[in-house]
Amino acid sequence: MQLHRDRDKFAAAGARLVVIGQGTPEQAAHFRESLKLDFPIYVDQRREVYEAAGAKIATFDELLGPKMVARGGAVAAKLGVFQGKTVGHPAQLGGVLVVLPGDDIAYSHLSDDASDNPPNSEVLAAVKAVAPS
Amino acid sequence: MRRLRGAAVRRQKTRPPGDASGLAGLTVKDFEGKDVRLGSFWEDGPAVVVFLRHYG
Repeated sequence: MQLHRDRDKFAAAGARLVVIGQGTPEQAAHFRESLKLDFPIYVDQRREVYEAAGAKIATFDELLGPKMVARGGAVAAKLGVFQGKTVGHPAQLGGVLVVLPGDDIAYSHLSDDASDNPPNSEVLAAVKAVAPS
Repeated sequence: MRRLRGAAVRRQKTRPPGDASGLAGLTVKDFEGKDVRLGSFWEDGPAVVVFLRHYG
């Protein structure tokens, strides 16, 4: 998982990494153990946080269109990590926010389709732009 | 098979909030089932909040 690989870079930039998924705490714990992740995974079972963050529900094409399948397959093959069983809402898309004390949002990227994820380098640049020097 | 259970029928737009005040009071559960207030993550410094579509 690319976040796990770059977790030290986010910490060095002064940011806390908060990863939120769907499903139950038990499913999050299983995912964490199976991939040997050493950061916590939180769950938003009712998807209230996803809703408040403005994340959307995808159409069929935004989930399984040719572009998504091709991009997803390429990333999975490169990293050797393949999507596990979907838990929670099958069409819920995600995103990334960089939030500062005082509730300011320094960066936001909400996925438009299943393959639309920002590179960690872009998120890291956003953190560094607001980190105190 | 253009219909997938739960998928949106029409393309939606994302709605990024102007600030995180609407998120700060919400809670998530840690992997032990304990409630954690979302705003606590960025009280003392920046937080990169990642919403996963799926695990893996």
